[in-house]
Amino acid sequence: MKVARPSSCTWRCVVLEWYNKGVDLLTVTVTARESAGEPYTLVAVAGEADITNRDDMRAVLDAEVVLRPPTLILDLSGLRFMDSSALHVILQANRALDRQGGVMALVAPQEAVAKMLKLTTADRLIPVFPTVAEAAAG
Amino acid sequence: MSLTFTTDLSAVREFVRRCAREAGLAEARAIDLVLAVSEVAANTLRHAKSAGTLEIWHDANEIVCQIQDKGFISDPLAGQRRPAADAAGGHGLWIVNQVCDLVEMRSDESGTTIKLHMALRSS
Repeated sequence: MKVARPSSCTWRCVVLEWYNKGVDLLTVTVTARESAGEPYTLVAVAGEADITNRDDMRAVLDAEVVLRPPTLILDLSGLRFMDSSALHVILQANRALDRQGGVMALVAPQEAVAKMLKLTTADRLIPVFPTVAEAAAG
Repeated sequence: MSLTFTTDLSAVREFVRRCAREAGLAEARAIDLVLAVSEVAANTLRHAKSAGTLEIWHDANEIVCQIQDKGFISDPLAGQRRPAADAAGGHGLWIVNQVCDLVEMRSDESGTTIKLHMALRSS
């Protein structure tokens, strides 16, 4: 795990990198943002998420969910691949968020990820938006 | 061509991508095949106490991915029923059955062999 500070960060950010044979497969970046005065948490997931690194993604999402964000947006635009076990981590976070009155939204899934969301009908459980701005606007 | 995998599913997916390209599988179908093989290989990591082996071959009509491990799948209908969207598991083999043209599964105490078939030309 490596902590970095992307330029979009307002006050809190975590970058998680999963190394496998020297290749960083998964990067999870968390930033706190605001849209029209409403705070939301943006989690950008990039690389490839599967059973070998889903626990790392779960750790980041769990840590965000306990902070009770009203809106948690998952930016999937950098995610090249997601298997069903990584999807379960997202679904579990969505359920936990929903129970405490929060809302999750997914943004810009690439073709392989969009296929997974469609096959499992997860895209009917969690709204999918083309951009972060549209997701933040609800 | 064959590949033995222990933990690196990314290498498994890259191998499938390369073979699919060489076989001339359409890009959208290649995405499906990569997804299917990755799900089966993930099952190996989850359930089998051994490494998995992936073999891929093709002829003019179809590409076949065969995954073998020492695990045992006791449910003969595994992957045949659609799990609820928010189910805690069971999506993997369901997806495999949805995207492939044919899935053959043989499993006994000596191990499991799963063959995924995908037609190279849509008829």
